[in-house]
Amino acid sequence: MRDKRGPHVMNHTSPIERILRGAALTIVVLFFMFPIFWILLMSVQTNETILRSPPSMVFTPTLQNYQALITGRLETQAGSLDIEFMQNLWNSVILSVGSVALALVLGVPAAYAFARHKFRGSEDIAFTLLSFRFAPPLLVLLPLTMYFQELGLADTYVGLIWVYQLICLPLILWIVRGYFEDISPDVEHAYRIAGHSWLSTFRKIALPLAGPGIAAAGLLAFIFAWNNFIFALVLASADKQPVTVGALNFITASGIQYGQIAAAVIMSIAPTLALALYAQRYLVEGLSLGAVKG
Amino acid sequence: MYEKEKGLVDAFRRGQLSRRGLIKSLGALGVSAGTAGVLVNMVSTQAMAADFDWMKHKGKSVKLLLNKHPYADAMIANLENFKKLTGIDVTYDIFPEDVYFDKVTAALSSRSSEYDAFMTGAYMTWTYGPAGWITDLNEWINDSDKTSPTYDWDDMLPGVRASCAWNGKPGGALGSDDAKQWCIPWGYEQNNLAYNASMFDKIGAQAPTNMGEMVEVAAKAQKDLDGVYGIGVRGSRSWATIHPGFLSGYANFEEKDLNIADDGKLSAAMNTDGSKAFHADWVKMIQDSGASDWSSHTWYQVGTDLGAGKSAMIYDADILGYFMNGGDNAMAGELAFAPFAANPDAESPTPNIWIWSLAMSNFSKDKDAAWYFMQWASGPEHGLFGAAEMDFVNPVRKSVWESDVFVDRLNSGYPGYVEMHDLSAPGASIKFTAQPLFFDLTTEWASSLQKMVANEVPVDEGLDQLAESVNRQLKDAGLG
Repeated sequence: MRDKRGPHVMNHTSPIERILRGAALTIVVLFFMFPIFWILLMSVQTNETILRSPPSMVFTPTLQNYQALITGRLETQAGSLDIEFMQNLWNSVILSVGSVALALVLGVPAAYAFARHKFRGSEDIAFTLLSFRFAPPLLVLLPLTMYFQELGLADTYVGLIWVYQLICLPLILWIVRGYFEDISPDVEHAYRIAGHSWLSTFRKIALPLAGPGIAAAGLLAFIFAWNNFIFALVLASADKQPVTVGALNFITASGIQYGQIAAAVIMSIAPTLALALYAQRYLVEGLSLGAVKG
Repeated sequence: MYEKEKGLVDAFRRGQLSRRGLIKSLGALGVSAGTAGVLVNMVSTQAMAADFDWMKHKGKSVKLLLNKHPYADAMIANLENFKKLTGIDVTYDIFPEDVYFDKVTAALSSRSSEYDAFMTGAYMTWTYGPAGWITDLNEWINDSDKTSPTYDWDDMLPGVRASCAWNGKPGGALGSDDAKQWCIPWGYEQNNLAYNASMFDKIGAQAPTNMGEMVEVAAKAQKDLDGVYGIGVRGSRSWATIHPGFLSGYANFEEKDLNIADDGKLSAAMNTDGSKAFHADWVKMIQDSGASDWSSHTWYQVGTDLGAGKSAMIYDADILGYFMNGGDNAMAGELAFAPFAANPDAESPTPNIWIWSLAMSNFSKDKDAAWYFMQWASGPEHGLFGAAEMDFVNPVRKSVWESDVFVDRLNSGYPGYVEMHDLSAPGASIKFTAQPLFFDLTTEWASSLQKMVANEVPVDEGLDQLAESVNRQLKDAGLG
């Protein structure tokens, strides 16, 4: 039982308030989770049960939607339908992991340089990199397509990972820069005085201290890359499309395969959800610490 | 192959036996209908090779950009025959319909040479053609060195063929003598009625034959059937809301989208008395008996609701009803079809049409090889294969509509479909005025319709405002 006297009185909440707060939180959670819960239910139903009127939560669950996505073949009364979804999922993994890895390799040292070394034009360069995020993708995509054809980069993973830097690099650079600025330079100076090289200071001191910030920035960049739609659509063939484009394949002229769409949604949010849950701690810590530093 | 089967196939090849006769006779010899179909198609392909040098471009390759659609599926199912016939390799990219035209526009506007030929709608060629992105196909069609004598261009339904040709002048008549053939019709949709026959039986209703009856029957279905709305039509803020049932009914009252003056200048024609009366009926019908979320309805919702038994009828593409009458839809086998002339004084329906077509990219590296593919894919042999064995419906060729195999198939599973088609086909064509602002103006039209249905603006006033805005845009673009 909490002592009701002294400074603790300030934190006291009445039981009614607690109940109301709990109810409000439950409502908010239900409100936000219900669509995901409903999609989960849809993913284990056939199209016929999904489209029943009025909708009902009583049904015999089936894994046929997941089975169809994984095996690449859906058998219905209407015939069979080839599904390329696993290829789409794999493409998303290659593009997101590849582009985030490259952005980390390029962006983290750059962020360090912008944070620690004030050189001529540094702010301009940093702002130019950030401005990539301002431009609507369609503005740059058509000229890019033409260049890519000239360079032989059109319809290649390398080309796409390069273009994905428009999403990942500014994000990583700006978040991690804030984080490096947050670390006192004195720690690094002390290490340098002990006779260590600049590179060793960066690796041994700056990088570990900025770890949560880098993890948070990497995760955010991964989510943005995973959700991207337009770059691969314009720049690549059907066999290199990510899940965001692939999921649309279930909307066909002869009907919408709601069950497969729901299963595809569940399968495509699973990697980002798992990653986000794993790195949740870093995400909140990293973002808030990086953000408050001016 | 056994002697008897071989004899039959040879007789078919010599023209002594009809396709239907051949399949029947093969059936009598124990060959299944599916196998017989494949066999006939193979023989037809061999027969094609006899009259024309199909191997001229052997060893080349062609890349296609396709929309995920049953027409593309039918072509892919028959593609090996083309490869064998020509020695041309064919690769393709298929994209979902939702993003398909973005992909096409991006590929063409960046002058990409990746794709040689692609699927398109005729309306889109009003943008692609004048921009120089696609090729006038008359040059190939009229060249006997490049086009097989069995191609039979005149076999294409005249209204459909003309709708794919435009002279590039804003307001220019489709199919005029100076028109360029921007694309080749592949499969097409008329807009008519598809209704749930068992629901109509239950409420004792007949298929409506004019606009007044449609409003009444839709209201009756809405009232008498539990959890069912009366009529499905599209309502999203898109050009696609205007072009199906709405424009087909509108045109049946001889109303137009735009006026064309003697000097070629265009002006809005949506605010005439006749147009206002039609709009008023349409708006009332949706308010009384349409879907409650009508303003978000596209092709998909209109079809899905009919297939799931949530609507009693649709006034939309005939093939949408066709698709919903099959597959694993709850209402498969329950649907029936009827021609629809909105105007009680009209002699027959005048459906506006959507045509999935094949166009050739102007940036193709090998147009002759691309044309070989296009003429095969739009030829009579593939047309018959697709219509008889797959869902390549509606065919654009008269010969396919005259085929017993195809007609029997439709009559057995799709009651009223063939009569509906035949009655409507003479009046079927694109009813829009061809001009480069098509998508902007039609989307605004749909937006006005939404406001009228939501009672944000009265019909008269809404149409006057629309006409004013359309006229202003036409003037700004130098067209009005």
